[in-house]
Amino acid sequence: MTGTAWMTVARREIITKLTDKTFLLSTFGLVAILAGVLGVQAFMANRATEYAVVTSSSAAHQMAELVKTGAEAEDDKLTVTLSEATDDTAAQTKVRDGDAVAWLHQGDDGWVLTGKDDVPGDLLTAATTVIRDETLTVNAAAANTSVEDLQRGSEVSTTLLDADADRAGVAKAVGFALAMLFYLASFTFGLALANSVVEEKASRIVEIITTKISVRELLAGKVMGNLALAFAQMALFVGVGLVGLSFTEYDRFLPMISGAVGWFVAFFVVGFGLLACLWAVAGALATRTEDVQSTSTPLTMLTVAVFFAAMLADGVIKVVLSFVPPFSAILMPMRVLEGSAPWWQALVALAILLVTAGLIVRGAARLYQRSLLQTQGRLSLRQAWSTPE
Amino acid sequence: MSSELLEVDGLRRTFGDVVAVDGVSFTVPGGQMTGFVGGNGAGKTTTMRMIMGLLATHGGEVRWNGSPITTLDRRRIGYMPEERGLYPKQKVLDQLTYLGELSGMTAAAARASVMEHLERFGLEDRSTERVEKLSLGNQQRVQIIAALMTQPDALILDEPFSGLDPHAVDSMVDLLREHTSRGIPVLFSSHQLDLVERLCDRLVVLAKGRVVAAGSVGELRSAGPVRYRLTLGGDAGWLRDLAGIHVHDVDGSTALLEFTNEAARPALLTAAAERGDVLDFARQVPALSEIYREVTS
Repeated sequence: MTGTAWMTVARREIITKLTDKTFLLSTFGLVAILAGVLGVQAFMANRATEYAVVTSSSAAHQMAELVKTGAEAEDDKLTVTLSEATDDTAAQTKVRDGDAVAWLHQGDDGWVLTGKDDVPGDLLTAATTVIRDETLTVNAAAANTSVEDLQRGSEVSTTLLDADADRAGVAKAVGFALAMLFYLASFTFGLALANSVVEEKASRIVEIITTKISVRELLAGKVMGNLALAFAQMALFVGVGLVGLSFTEYDRFLPMISGAVGWFVAFFVVGFGLLACLWAVAGALATRTEDVQSTSTPLTMLTVAVFFAAMLADGVIKVVLSFVPPFSAILMPMRVLEGSAPWWQALVALAILLVTAGLIVRGAARLYQRSLLQTQGRLSLRQAWSTPE
Repeated sequence: MSSELLEVDGLRRTFGDVVAVDGVSFTVPGGQMTGFVGGNGAGKTTTMRMIMGLLATHGGEVRWNGSPITTLDRRRIGYMPEERGLYPKQKVLDQLTYLGELSGMTAAAARASVMEHLERFGLEDRSTERVEKLSLGNQQRVQIIAALMTQPDALILDEPFSGLDPHAVDSMVDLLREHTSRGIPVLFSSHQLDLVERLCDRLVVLAKGRVVAAGSVGELRSAGPVRYRLTLGGDAGWLRDLAGIHVHDVDGSTALLEFTNEAARPALLTAAAERGDVLDFARQVPALSEIYREVTS
């Protein structure tokens, strides 16, 4: 039994949580919000537009054909449909009635797009480019030269000194999202873990449980159960996020984000495990649910500090903190995402985090064991550490 | 019938400067119910928690069948703590099944055992209710099921009868008797001396952290000096003047006395007959409560 006792405990933690309406509502509420935000983005990015253009002369119709071809080649979300009116008045009527968005015709000084109260910007841009190129070609032929000759030397191109700015922006946004996830998980699961520990302590069921299994097995089961839940919840959020992102115009960043998400997952598991043990200790130090708030204050502050470090740290501080647990749990994956940390640095930081987590687990087990059966008020860390069993 | 044996030898526990349990020794033989009595703060709960390994001992040891008790032995002991511990928000069946699984039962076996016990207490239709919805008495029944469901090798029960009505006490006693008839030792603490006298085969009396009396109920009751009650036709005050007699109490015509010299007995009766009528003369077996008051005073 000894080997699987922690699994029985972990299973109970998971089932208790999965049958808790508040937990389910908050999880699916967040998924719905996330899907909603990404859905709006995707909708905006994929919205197809169709412009009906009317002409009233064969020359205009030919030009409109060119505009259609050019516009649709430039932007695959754009469709231009053409129609011919018998005369100018009929064409105007079509525009006025809303059957066409614009009437393409020749004016005294070039071409005119007549709209009802507005000519759509992207249609105007497409038409301007096509018509200018076409006219240039015709004029160049008339002047016995070519468009290329006319345009030679007029090219304006750009080079960027800070070519990664775009990537840095995305890294910042994704890093923020991941830091937020870690923060949420630490708080929601951590606090719930502390409360469930104190619940067992306050109801004294812990006395029955610890005559059946060891305190370490109980701690391991509770931490692993919550870790599995936190991991599943995070995977759900990240999965919805990545799938959603693939439908938006940011989909080109997906390969880069996915790689960093792998690191984030590894750091999340170890980092959360470390914090979860500390939350369990915070619960064990308390005797009543009311005490948890004060015994967990240092931990609350640490979690907030990790979050703000992830948001604000920069330069050398960021590099240093990306190796210091528990800050490394967020900052190192963020640096990988930015492309400022090579893989070996991530490995080193992960190793440091693992070793620290291992030490913390052992210390936490000692504190947990010694404070779990003390039911006389709140314990200080020092008391818990030195108290005899 | 195999017979197990739980021994407590010289257990000692201090909390800071306070000695809560001071050299407590007694045995809990298999097949018997051993009552553990003592006032508040006498050290009963502390002793039981040390037996269960919930508190470290500061001296002495607990032996199981002659060897120092191990964690594995303890896992085979059914324990009911003084402060009733259950998850208030979990359903009765789920909760008990969980505890059964932690003791090493399969989920199916645990479930079957729980339902069987719930039926005995007439609680089978409450199996899907949350524990906090049950009355205190029913919560206590659920608690005792947690201790009994695994067919344990021994039972350590801290105040198992407190808060139960007389019917519930009887069905609980029947249940416990089934377990002692399997040959296992049962140790239970109680404040209710009449109940202890009725139920238990053996008794351990604790006062201020020490054992002040231990043995079978019969042994304890006959261990003290033999007293006699004498009821005369007239006032019994003159008995105080007789030699060879110690008079504990005189109430009108009735006296409670003890012979310091056995030869004084026939002399007493002769003297009484001369003075008038002798209505009653009987050997007095003390009630457990009297013994208790005496040993703990």
